[in-house]
Amino acid sequence: MKHMLTALAVAGALASTGAQAQTITFSSWGGTTQDAQTEHWAAPFTADTGIGVVQDGPTDYGKFQAMVEAGAVSWDVVDVEFDFALQAGQMGLLEPLDFDIIDKDQLDPRFVSDYAVGSFYYSFTLGWNPANFSGAQPSTFADLFDLEAFPGKRTFYAWSHPGVIEAALLADGVAPDDLYPLDLDRAFAKLDTIKDEIIWWEGGAQSQLLLASGEAPLGLFWNGRLYALEAEGLEVGISWDHNITAADALVVPKGTNNREAAMQFIAEATSARGQADFAAASAYAPINLASPDLMDPAIRATLPDVQTAVQVNADLAYWAENREAIGNRWYAWQAQ
Amino acid sequence: MVTIATTQRRRRSGLGMAMPAILLLLAFFVVPVVMLLTRSVTDPEPGLHNYAALLGSPTYGRIFFNTFFVSGLVTLITALIAFPIAWALAIMPRLPAGILFAVILLSMWTNLLTRTYAWMVMLQQTGIINRMLQSIGLIDTPIQLTNNLIGVTIGMVYIMLPFMILPLYGVIRKIDPAILQAAALCGASRMQALVRVLLPLAAPGIASGGLMVFVMSLGYYVTPSLLGGTANMMLAEFIVQQVQSLLNWGMGGAAAFVLLVVTLALYALQLRLFEPRETR
Repeated sequence: MKHMLTALAVAGALASTGAQAQTITFSSWGGTTQDAQTEHWAAPFTADTGIGVVQDGPTDYGKFQAMVEAGAVSWDVVDVEFDFALQAGQMGLLEPLDFDIIDKDQLDPRFVSDYAVGSFYYSFTLGWNPANFSGAQPSTFADLFDLEAFPGKRTFYAWSHPGVIEAALLADGVAPDDLYPLDLDRAFAKLDTIKDEIIWWEGGAQSQLLLASGEAPLGLFWNGRLYALEAEGLEVGISWDHNITAADALVVPKGTNNREAAMQFIAEATSARGQADFAAASAYAPINLASPDLMDPAIRATLPDVQTAVQVNADLAYWAENREAIGNRWYAWQAQ
Repeated sequence: MVTIATTQRRRRSGLGMAMPAILLLLAFFVVPVVMLLTRSVTDPEPGLHNYAALLGSPTYGRIFFNTFFVSGLVTLITALIAFPIAWALAIMPRLPAGILFAVILLSMWTNLLTRTYAWMVMLQQTGIINRMLQSIGLIDTPIQLTNNLIGVTIGMVYIMLPFMILPLYGVIRKIDPAILQAAALCGASRMQALVRVLLPLAAPGIASGGLMVFVMSLGYYVTPSLLGGTANMMLAEFIVQQVQSLLNWGMGGAAAFVLLVVTLALYALQLRLFEPRETR
């Protein structure tokens, strides 16, 4: 028995001296997005620093909060939605970012806060399957709510999040500048007019399946997922009219054991090169203002950041403040 | 001869052997559950307001109704389909019965998410089921089979079937087929033999399978969320929304506790009604 314990102790000591191979854990949302993050952020980061990156996910806010509160943080860098990042910062769940390591001068100031920097930004865009419409094709958010001209199911993001409520208000004639504070009564009244025709998508893959099969011939989608369908050879209709931007953020959970390495990882991910390469692979827009110059112009033309003329920016700070109130109402309305 | 003393001794030593398992359960099951329940009366502030909100609102009432209605419907249909299959398995020759068993078990070992996605594809408007119905002329235009009650029911019955078939098979296999001949000799019609003889004998199997299916259905998440619409939202989906999206652990915990109480009550009822008396 004693021998066994000694052997174990020796093995443990060996393992810990051999642990110069530090690793950090990155959690994101899976699918093609996380593949691109692995290839264009994690791989160069490991090559530069020798620190390995373990991929984990999907990100789950309940789990996030539980691990911080329990003091057992197993994620070092997490890709979250930006409105959650702002709320989590206020709740004390995040490490403040170290801007001596992360260079924020080049970053789009819309997506920089004390606790979070943009991971990428994207648009909710109107998408449709042309095979389902013989005559006129949909082109505006108003068409999403026009059951006579464009019959059939429409699909929207299921979770309480910027996008669908804004689209309903814009379709109802609210000017983009007058969106906030959100008139929830008006938004839900508008959504009520098509409620029976809505199929909710909970993840990107589901939204693609619904559109490609024609189960829901039109809807509001993450632009990158429509792009991915096109890249696979499917004919997809995309209208950038009033495309609604929102962003993901990179954050560091409070209590991580790898604070410094986490900051270095974020520095790599938000670098001009990291953002440019990720954008090219995902069709989401870079948040580093120096990235567009590094990109192939043909690819850039497909990204949300060239659609600013018709773009509506979701007010992420407003959402962060009202996340719970809107969320409660949103889910109760869905279940009614 | 086994005396009472030796039985007791055996029981005690059995407890010793089971200690690691009991500790494991305590640490990884009981403690987290108790913590979650505590949050349901402390988060965001102490009191029973989470329960008041949960049980007082018509919206949440509807979610409770959906949960029990869908679970009941799934249990009923599963029992109706499982009974003949279990009967067939019990009287079949060995080889075909083995093959049928393998098919049933194989479906259980395939990833749940994969199976649910497969149903999504099959049930959609351009899916194989709609196309088949159209080609044989039963319908003219595709019918809506997903994102509603039909989709949830089909998906869940499919997943729950083995959990009904196996306990039913266990009970039916022990029934002596001669008993049916005896019933026939006494002048019972086939229907009478089924209702008066076979069903009562198989009742414990139906009860334990039914309870298992019903309780599992109560807490099901993946299938309802992918194949159902929000109009049939079930409690597990509600809990996920509250905890994952809104960080509202108090409300999520309250819903989980109500679910737990209902489950335990059902289990107690089943024990009372169907447990053989001599083991009590």
